[in-house]
Amino acid sequence: MSDANTVVDELRPVGETTQFIVIRLGDEQYGIDIKYIDNIVRMQHITRVPKVDDYLKGVINLRGEVIPVMSIRIKMGLERDVETKSSRIIILKLEQQGTIGVIVDEVKEVVTLENERIEKVAYDSKDEKANFLCGVGKSEGGLISLLDLNAVVLENV
Amino acid sequence: MDVSQYLEIFLDETNEHLQSLNTQILALEQDPENMDTINEIFRAAHSLKGMAGTMGYKRMQTLTHDMENVFSEVRNGNIKVNADMIDVLFQCLDALEEYNTTIRESSDEGTNDNSALIKRLNDIMNGGAGEAAAASESAPAVKAPEASAAGGGFQSIKLNENQQTVLSEAIKEGKNVYGLTVKVQESCILKAARAFLVFKAVEETSEIIVSDPSSQDIEDEKFELTFSLIIVSEAAMDEVVSAASAVSEIENVSGSVLKLEDVSGTGEPEEPSGAAEVPAAAPVETAAAVPVETPAEEPAAAAQPAAPSQAPAQANAPAAKKAANKPVVNRTVRVDIEKLDTLMNLVSELIIAKNSLVSASAMSGNSSQAVNEQIEYLESVTTSLHESVMKVRMVPIESTVNKFPRMVRDLQKKLGKKMELYMSGEETELDRTVVDQIGDPLMHLLRNSADHGLESAEVRKERGKSEVGSIFLDAYQDGNNVVIEVRDDGNGIDTNAVKNKAIERGVITPEQGEAMSDKEIIDLLFNAGFSTAKVVSDVSGRGVGLDVVKSMIESLSGEVEVKSRLGEGSTWTIRLPLTLAIIQALMVELGDEKYAIALGSIQTIEDIPPADVKLVQAKEVIQLRDLVIPLIRLNEILDVPSKKDPEDNLVVVVVKKGDKMAGLVVDELIGQQEIVIKSLGKYISKCKVISGATVLGDGEVALILDANALI
Repeated sequence: MSDANTVVDELRPVGETTQFIVIRLGDEQYGIDIKYIDNIVRMQHITRVPKVDDYLKGVINLRGEVIPVMSIRIKMGLERDVETKSSRIIILKLEQQGTIGVIVDEVKEVVTLENERIEKVAYDSKDEKANFLCGVGKSEGGLISLLDLNAVVLENV
Repeated sequence: MDVSQYLEIFLDETNEHLQSLNTQILALEQDPENMDTINEIFRAAHSLKGMAGTMGYKRMQTLTHDMENVFSEVRNGNIKVNADMIDVLFQCLDALEEYNTTIRESSDEGTNDNSALIKRLNDIMNGGAGEAAAASESAPAVKAPEASAAGGGFQSIKLNENQQTVLSEAIKEGKNVYGLTVKVQESCILKAARAFLVFKAVEETSEIIVSDPSSQDIEDEKFELTFSLIIVSEAAMDEVVSAASAVSEIENVSGSVLKLEDVSGTGEPEEPSGAAEVPAAAPVETAAAVPVETPAEEPAAAAQPAAPSQAPAQANAPAAKKAANKPVVNRTVRVDIEKLDTLMNLVSELIIAKNSLVSASAMSGNSSQAVNEQIEYLESVTTSLHESVMKVRMVPIESTVNKFPRMVRDLQKKLGKKMELYMSGEETELDRTVVDQIGDPLMHLLRNSADHGLESAEVRKERGKSEVGSIFLDAYQDGNNVVIEVRDDGNGIDTNAVKNKAIERGVITPEQGEAMSDKEIIDLLFNAGFSTAKVVSDVSGRGVGLDVVKSMIESLSGEVEVKSRLGEGSTWTIRLPLTLAIIQALMVELGDEKYAIALGSIQTIEDIPPADVKLVQAKEVIQLRDLVIPLIRLNEILDVPSKKDPEDNLVVVVVKKGDKMAGLVVDELIGQQEIVIKSLGKYISKCKVISGATVLGDGEVALILDANALI
């Protein structure tokens, strides 16, 4: 790989590192930038909200606050979530959308990646999943697709 | 000095002063002679200047300074209030408001010098001073000999017409009019306090007609060592003089008796100036206690027996009046709204915790009498706590509606129509957040009434109405709601014009138009992009208006309705909930899900046999005491499978919105509960029938149904 392909993202200056939480959706591993994560909670009862897009699963009570919860799987066009013991809700704090929970199959670990090891993905309109990624990181455990949270959370118009 | 920490207070207080100035100047326009109003204005302008100076906002200070000068001249009677001046003053207020906004945004006052305004203010000043100089040509003549007289002599005061009449009448009535000049010792520290004591001493026997400098300035210690008074007294002059000089740290008091020529009109400048020399040339030194002219004393002595009861009464009257006019200063604390929000949130948490306790004790099943009693006690405490916190957040809508008289005045000029705004119920209280946000919608409705509602003066005359159109703004509390009505006696809504416009815009088809009732047509006005004004003016008619009004009011969980009679006027009614945060609600069950319906919108709860459900135009209705009420099957709207047997009786919750009713079919009733409303966040805003969520005692989230949206 030439240097031109390494990340030229002003948010991730070269020479520094970024931490990601590695989650599992089906067979694939994804990374979520740790700075957006407020909390990780176990699956709990989600109150369905009628008449909304189906990727919005409903709302939960997080210490007295009502937080919307969405399914990344449905949003990304994967098969529906199957709730297991390892399922978690990751509470994200985003600038635009505020606090929102996303359902993941499993939370695996925290990895620290040097920014030089993060590569941008080429935009591919055919691959729907690629629209939700902002890069690929290379760690000892293999390749991790890094989620572009703004794209994941963005409302369907 | 770092003043940034005072910025918030500065901005708040500036707003208050500006508001007060707006109100007072409007009052002044109606009653240009009212001294109380002028004093109030002067005070507000003065405080503004001081605050701007302290904060280092030079431009703001310059502008307020010049305004203050104008008011000061008005107060001294040198300038008369006229329409032009009022206009300039209003423009100044706008400019100040602009400074304030700029400061709020950038904590800098910006670079607008408003030099044009300042020039106009100065023109007013000079014009006024010129007049005054012309009017009091005599003054220099009077003053000159006095200046040469020994420092102790009485120094004459410029009089305005009012004062002249008062004084001449007093003399004609045989009362004594004295001029006093009081000199304070140079070593005196609290000059203002000494002056105050002198005033008090003099007021015991006499009435102070005028002072130079003004009493306000004396109070503010804005004088050198001497000040002069003109008094009307029943007592002998040396009595008054010695009373005044009895105050400690007063060097001397000199007095002279003023005659009719000294105080009457400025029409004959020569004569009074000549005559004035007599008393001026014969100043009465207190120390010398020169006997005063006897002819003046004679009637005074005669009047004396009757006087004692009268004089204090006279002295008291103005004092009492002053006290009544000054707003009673409440003992208040300014609290950051965020702190109140935190407090409210904590109360909410407490109520949730209390609810959990209730459900936990019910679940465990072995709750003792004692536990139940304590829980009931806790319940009553939390309810009162909630009410108190809610009351703290309530503010009168006054702060918002106070700017409307000014706005209507401006509209009147801009639209060239005559109109008058009548307001009532300004003291009605609403949650602070609601009051902050209700201003724009109300402003829009008022503008709408002024622009579209009221006819021009000619048309009004033809129709036999008074030429001056009336707009009413009434606020009052109605149960758990606050109602604000905007009413005008104008043209009313022309349903045909609306209908044609709607067809033209493609909002409805001509066939639909034929079938619509007048009310439905009027409701079309709330559609986006709808304006019937033939000409787009900058007052209204940009096509963003009523739809925005409607959505803003709905975002406050309120509703807006309009009633209109062609040719007679229209009434816009806004209905707002008293509080937004915590409500009483009826909990209902649908399938496995729980929903809350605000108790305020519920009329009755009915048990209806399935056979009583009738079909009208393919819609299910029930008949209830002569009313036909459409049924809404919530399980269909909310996509929940019903658990109920279709043969069973229906549980129908009848809800009301304005004069529309609907019956909501639910599976089960759970009960009444106090719930804390939490927003679903904008992320789930698409769902129209849900207005929010609440956390139940068991920690689960239940959604709150928006009965208004369902109907």
